[in-house]
Amino acid sequence: MKSNWSERLFGTPKFEPLVATSYLFPLLYLLFFLIIPVLAMLAIAFTYNGSLSLHWFREIFSFNSDYIKLPSTWSLFQSVKMPGTGETLYIIQGLDFGIVLNSIIVASVVTLLASFIGTIFAFLMARYTFPGKNLFRILLFIPLLVTPFVSAYVVQQIFSEYGIVSSILHALFGFRVRVDGLAGIALAQSITYYPIVYLNAYASFINIDPSLEEQAENLGSRGFHLFRTVTFPLALPGIAAGATLVFIFSLEDLAAPIVFHSNDLAKRIMSYQIFSKFLFGTGERSPLIAALAIVMLTLAIIAFLGIRKYVSLRQYAMLSKGGRWSPRVSKPRIGQALIIYLLLLPLLLFTITPQVGVVQLAFTEQHRIVTNVTDITASVTGVMYPTGSITNGTLVTPKGGWFFQGTVKGYSDSIGVINGSISGFFVGKVTVNNGEVKLTGDISYADFQGLASRYNGTIHTQMKGPITGTGELLSGGTVNLTSTRFKATMFNIPAGQVSKFSFNYVKQMILTPDVRRYIVNSLLYSTVAVILIVLLSITSSYATSRFKGALTPVLESIVILPMAVPGIVVAMGYFYFFHLVFPGTPLDPISPATFNPAYVLILAYSVRRLPFAARSVYAGLQQVHVSLEEASMNLGASRWKTVTGIVLPLISLNVFGGAMLSFVYAMSETSVGITLGSLNMAKAPITAFMKEVLLSAAGSINIAAALGVLLITVQIISIVLVNVITKQRYSFIGLS
Amino acid sequence: MVEVRLENIVKRFGETVALKGISLHIKHGELFTLLGPSGCGKSTTLRIIAGLDYPTEGKVFFGDQDVTNLSSSDRGAVLVFQNYALWPHMSVFDNVAYGLRIRKLPKGEVEKRVKWALELVKLQGFEDRYPTQLSGGQQQRVAIARALVVEPKLLLLDEPLSNLDAKLRLEMRSEIRRIQRELGITVLYVTHDQEEAMAISDRIAVMNVGTVEQVGSPREIYEHPKTEFVASFMGKTNVIPAKVTEREGDRVTVEFESFRLEGLTYSGEKDDVVIVIRPERISLHPVEDAITLEGTVDLVEYYGFFVEVIGVFGERRIIARTISTREVSVIRPTQPIKFYIRRDDILVLPKQL
Ligand SMILES: Nc1ncnc2c1ncn2[C@@H]1O[C@H](COP(=O)(O)OP(=O)(O)O)[C@@H](O)[C@H]1O
Ligand SMILES: [Mg+2]
Repeated sequence: MKSNWSERLFGTPKFEPLVATSYLFPLLYLLFFLIIPVLAMLAIAFTYNGSLSLHWFREIFSFNSDYIKLPSTWSLFQSVKMPGTGETLYIIQGLDFGIVLNSIIVASVVTLLASFIGTIFAFLMARYTFPGKNLFRILLFIPLLVTPFVSAYVVQQIFSEYGIVSSILHALFGFRVRVDGLAGIALAQSITYYPIVYLNAYASFINIDPSLEEQAENLGSRGFHLFRTVTFPLALPGIAAGATLVFIFSLEDLAAPIVFHSNDLAKRIMSYQIFSKFLFGTGERSPLIAALAIVMLTLAIIAFLGIRKYVSLRQYAMLSKGGRWSPRVSKPRIGQALIIYLLLLPLLLFTITPQVGVVQLAFTEQHRIVTNVTDITASVTGVMYPTGSITNGTLVTPKGGWFFQGTVKGYSDSIGVINGSISGFFVGKVTVNNGEVKLTGDISYADFQGLASRYNGTIHTQMKGPITGTGELLSGGTVNLTSTRFKATMFNIPAGQVSKFSFNYVKQMILTPDVRRYIVNSLLYSTVAVILIVLLSITSSYATSRFKGALTPVLESIVILPMAVPGIVVAMGYFYFFHLVFPGTPLDPISPATFNPAYVLILAYSVRRLPFAARSVYAGLQQVHVSLEEASMNLGASRWKTVTGIVLPLISLNVFGGAMLSFVYAMSETSVGITLGSLNMAKAPITAFMKEVLLSAAGSINIAAALGVLLITVQIISIVLVNVITKQRYSFIGLS
Repeated sequence: MVEVRLENIVKRFGETVALKGISLHIKHGELFTLLGPSGCGKSTTLRIIAGLDYPTEGKVFFGDQDVTNLSSSDRGAVLVFQNYALWPHMSVFDNVAYGLRIRKLPKGEVEKRVKWALELVKLQGFEDRYPTQLSGGQQQRVAIARALVVEPKLLLLDEPLSNLDAKLRLEMRSEIRRIQRELGITVLYVTHDQEEAMAISDRIAVMNVGTVEQVGSPREIYEHPKTEFVASFMGKTNVIPAKVTEREGDRVTVEFESFRLEGLTYSGEKDDVVIVIRPERISLHPVEDAITLEGTVDLVEYYGFFVEVIGVFGERRIIARTISTREVSVIRPTQPIKFYIRRDDILVLPKQL
């Protein structure tokens, strides 16, 4: 039989509609909803004045532009005086190398930090057994939970001038610190993404055949030398795969820049630039941001292809298959134990603070407590406005008292030094004798605005108290109060905050129709997307695992491609593509009257989260020997009957696991949700609302945190379900 | 039941040529074996007959029907896989019933036939078990029942015994033979084990790197191998490179080392030949019409009821196999020995390898 087009394309000697569909459905789907939209954006980026041009790229890549430049200042931190107290505040925010370089530098720093932390924890968990290891295991699970925006917000709070870190430094050394800008973004992202490296590295360490290390030990290698020469190189492909994902995730992340957006440097990063110009610009979008998106896409794809090549070259971890082995674990020596408990445990506790903080925010209501302070001695200087003219003699208070205005300096044991301005009424006697003025009486309620050293920031309160003092009569009947002493009582001074456990925000989240709507939207879009993802991953994995047609490598690459395409690039691509192809329809983002984000979001979710499910289904199919299908066909079953009766039942658990994983990640999808999704807030997903909260103070951060808790709950439920039903370890994100 | 003909089957996998033009004729109701070393193309041939692979060139006929392009599901040539390929998510009953349900047989009929098939393979009472709850031999029987229950035109068995231990192997071997006789079906059997092939087959095709070297009954193949490969593949044998020095029609004189063997039969063209002598056809006592080789004893290997005497003739070691009698027990290394071989038992074949 001659080899024909069916064999060449699909690897089946005879044309089989089911197999052809398995190839063509995912191929065409990704062609239309990933590749062509991105190409549409490409076309715009390469157009200037109606003709093909590199104009926009030249603008980006000219030195000393906004995009690539040297920092105007090289100092890593700025020191400023805190208003009022005059304490020194160091602001660490990073250096400005221009938008493009900033992105690359932040992503690189995050990759290094995340890889370092992730690898250390992975090695610890894979190779050591020590008291409390189960605690580590449980704690290490927490950072895996994804809560967009709110976790970065918590990191920001921890590192603000009034946060824990600053407070500790203040107590110890008397200065305060704020981590902000690019440094803040890098910190938040490192904490968010290190679990990706951890998972990949852990799997790599576990999969190393112990005999390889034993042989090296046998030859005299040990300790760090063994790690450096054998263990680490063998695990490196896995670690590198995780690191690459981190690089890409950091590059495209919008949540951290949005949280830090009040700092100008935080905005000078590619993702935020594209996002802000893309979202807030009216009318035509500048091709410049399309070009910027292309730069970002190129960086991501280079990183991605690099790692694919590297990993495929070095798949040695799996080379020696000697059945099951028990991994090598040892007890830490005393020095190592110290490192584990004194260094790694605190580090681990620190990396779970975002999740802990999110939960805390969601369930705590804060009330201010106020107090009255009676032990103030103060002096007032200022001006008093009596009514009528003043001559020698005693003047009694006019109705309502004399109005006065001045400054107040004082002291109280309970609130410290007091400084501020005061205005109010004086009730009492004023004696004038040859121009010399004496006052006795009371200051009835007076406004006080100023600082008290025990408090941070200004106090606004009321004061009252007996007053004695002297003054000087001025022309026009006013009195210059020179030194007027008084003992004062201050009312309603904020004395702190009490936090109270409360279900209010969770209740509000569920009961406020506006907020509930976002949840329903997200659930709906994610569910529909997951159905599509299941279809796409079954068809594509079936085609690529079973048939060796010319389309197989094409499909294989295209299915994992979404991992390398930043979400904001997908969003922009959709923006141009759907406007171009479906103008005036619910798919057209530029037509506010008709646009319904549901469709584009479902498409975007299904494309962006496909690789996670496809990996799982593919792994399942590799476990099912082809002969099981051949036996069925050989007994007379059709391909359809074979797939539905034999293949699907056997891979159902993998399909389920993949579906859950992509559902979780669809629920927390950010980039497309907060751009295209927020063009019609009535149909927007959860993440769009969370972005609104952080960007425009529409709604409270506590409700955003409650939504974060909802996402955490969804994740925990799916993890438990997957664990119970498939008896497999839930794998989260991985690349290798 | 059907006759199978393969005509010039060529199969390429990219650069690899797995089959180099194979023609075979498998007769109605016989147990036909493909025998050859691993990688010679046996499974490929079987899969082409089953319709699981399609030949690059050539044709497959079932009777008069050209089935070359027929899909596996429409052929009725049912394969029992080497790994049994039992569906782990189905019970024994469901596995066996699968093909019947595909054929949309009524429920009662399905039950009757499954019962019959399971009785045939002596597995009655195992209907509700799952494959993982069965031993290797039982899995094998389920696989065979699953194939037989659909009344295949042709039953294909790919190394069915290779995953079983030695004792079960013998048992299943006769089981398969029994079932084949009982049902009178055509069976194509694949193995790399020559002993198994000889014990079970009506006819054998010996394959070597994508070609069929010889087809014949077990006796023909064993006693009259047509090629050096077949001779050496069929059990332990003496293969001695030699040269034809004189010819007179079919009568030739052949020399190796300093030995000169006259009056042998050979009609090939090449003068580079091998002499093939089965160890059990060498006698330690004079026999009629024999040639005599004189040498020394190198080694005596004791196997219980028989003994192998390895003699050295010049540089050449030759094995003789004989029943362990008292006389043989006195033979010691380094002592002189004479091997007597009847001329009929000496095969001269063109040198091949
Ligand atoms: N699907 C395939 N792709 C590539 N080569 C194959 C394939 N199947 C078999 N071969 C090659 O064809 C040759 C014959 O294989 P096979 O028929 O399985 O041998 P046997 O069953 O006799 O051991 C071998 O060299 C094998 O590597
Ligand atoms: Mg084989």
